[in-house]
Amino acid sequence: MIEFKNVSKIYSSNGAHALDNVSLDIEKGEFVFIVGASGAGKSTFLKLIMREEQPTSGTIIVNDMHLETLPRRKVPYLRRSMGIVFQDFRLISKMTVYENVAFAMRCVGKKSSTIKKRVPYILDLVGLSDKANDHPTELSGGEQQRVSLARALVNNPAMIIADEPTGNIDPEMSYEIIELLSEINKRGTTVLVVTHEHDLVKSFDKRVINIENGRVVADSADEEYIAI
Amino acid sequence: MSSFGYQIKEGFKNLFSNRMMSLASIGVLVSCLVLTGSAVLLTVNVTSCVDSVSDNNLTNVYLDDDMDHLHAVAIGQDLLAVDHVVDAQFVEKDEAMEDYREQLGEDIFKNMTGKGNPFPYSYRITVDAETMQNVDRYDAVVEALKQVKLVRNGETLGGVQSVNSHRDLAQKLTSLSSLITMMSFWIILVLAVISLFIIANTIRMTMFSHRFEISIMKSVGATNTFVRIPFVVEGAAIGLISAVLSVGILYLLSNAVLAAVKAVLPFKLVPFTDIIWYVSGAFVAAGVIVGVLGSLLSISRFLKREGNEILGW
Repeated sequence: MIEFKNVSKIYSSNGAHALDNVSLDIEKGEFVFIVGASGAGKSTFLKLIMREEQPTSGTIIVNDMHLETLPRRKVPYLRRSMGIVFQDFRLISKMTVYENVAFAMRCVGKKSSTIKKRVPYILDLVGLSDKANDHPTELSGGEQQRVSLARALVNNPAMIIADEPTGNIDPEMSYEIIELLSEINKRGTTVLVVTHEHDLVKSFDKRVINIENGRVVADSADEEYIAI
Repeated sequence: MSSFGYQIKEGFKNLFSNRMMSLASIGVLVSCLVLTGSAVLLTVNVTSCVDSVSDNNLTNVYLDDDMDHLHAVAIGQDLLAVDHVVDAQFVEKDEAMEDYREQLGEDIFKNMTGKGNPFPYSYRITVDAETMQNVDRYDAVVEALKQVKLVRNGETLGGVQSVNSHRDLAQKLTSLSSLITMMSFWIILVLAVISLFIIANTIRMTMFSHRFEISIMKSVGATNTFVRIPFVVEGAAIGLISAVLSVGILYLLSNAVLAAVKAVLPFKLVPFTDIIWYVSGAFVAAGVIVGVLGSLLSISRFLKREGNEILGW
C-alpha cells in the first residue's frame, strides 16, 4: 500500500533534513501509528504520501503509483485513494454537516442521486445522523472530528490518513475517535494515524512506527522491536 | 443536479457575493467595448461617406444655369474630348434632385419639380485609373474641364460653371478615419489590458476568500479543471454582462449622435442597427474571452500551490 525506499527530504528553503534515508512498508489493511515529537519529520512523511512534496531522493510507491514520477494531472486521482483527517478538522463553517460531507463527493464529480444515498449512510456510520443539519460550530470537538472522518470516508478510499486527529479534542473523545478508526480498519481500510500522544498509542495494540530526527528509530513490526 | 452544475451555480454566487469588484470589472470592460463599438461605427460611417462621394462619380461637372437641354447634351462631346476623361454621363435636373431628395428628405423639395427645379444640368465624369492615382494630373484635368465651353459657329452657347471634385473631402475624411482608427486601436488596447487585470484581480479576490474550500477540494482529489469552473464561470459572466450592457449603451448613444449628425451633414449614415448583430457577436466573444482569460490568469498560479500553502499557514 505504502512503500518508502531510502527516502530523504531536504527542504531547499532552509536546508533542513526533514527525512533521512527512510525505508518502510505499510501493507493493505494495516492499522499503523506514526509517533514522534513535533519536528521529527511526521508532517513531511504525510506530505510526501499526499504528494504535496516530492522526495529529494529515494522512491515512494502509494497504491501502486510511483510518486516521484507521477504527473501533476494524476495527483487528484492519488488523493481520491486516500481520505485525510486533519487535526483542525477543516470543516466549512457555512455548510451543514451533511453539506460538508457531500462537498467531498461533489469535488470528485459524483452524481446527486449517489450523494443523497451515500452521505446519510456514512453519517450513520460515524454516529452523527441526528446532527446532519447542524453547522460545525454547533458541535463539540469530538463530533467535528467525526464529521471530518465521515468526509474522509465518503468517497470510499483505500486508506485513511489522520494527522493528529486527537490533537484538538478531549482525551475521552480521543479514544472514541481511535476506536472508530479501528472499526473502519476492520472493514478493510488501511489506517495511518500520526500522533505524538504516546499514552493513546499504548492503549491500542497496533503497529507503531517511531520517527525521530527524520529517521525511523523503532517499528513494532520489526522482530528486534523494544517498546519505548 | 450534477457536480458541474453545482460548480457553475457557485460561480454565479461568487459574482454576487463579490459585487463591488464585479461592478468595477463590468464598468471597465463596458467602457472598453463601448469605445470599440463607437470607433467601429465611426469608421463604418466615414467609409460610407467616402464611398458615396468618391465612388464612381468622383467628379461632377455642373453646367451654366441657363443652358437649355439640347446644348447641355451637346457639350458632352467637348467634355469627353478632354485628355484622360474616359466617360461623361449626362445627369438630368430631375435626376440630380432625386439624389438629394434621398439624402436630405422629401420636405425641402416639395415645390421644386418641373420649372422650379434649382439644379443645373450636370455630368458625372470618369477619368482613367492612372489619373486617379496622380493628384497633379487629376488637378490638371479638373482645370481643363472648367474651361470647356460649347461654341458653335463662333457663338458661345454656354459652358461649365463649376467642377465639384469630392476628392479633397474624400481624402480628408479618409485620413480622419485612419487617424481615429489608429487612436482608438491604442486606447482600446490599453483598456483591454486594464480590464484583463481588473478581472484577474476580482477573481483573485474571490479565490482568496474561497481558499479554504479550495484547499479541501484539492485534498479530497478534485481536479484543477473542476476547481477552476466557478472562477471561469464568474469571469465569463462578467464578460457576457458587459457585452449586453455595451450593446444597449451603444444603441442609445448612436441613435442620439447619428440623429444630431444627420441634421448637419448631407450624407446617408449607417445606423447602428445595420451592424448590431456583428457588433453583438463580437462583443460577446470579446467579453467572454477577456473574462475567461482574466480568470485563468489568476487561477493558474494559485492552483500550483499545495495544502497549507493555499491557506498561507
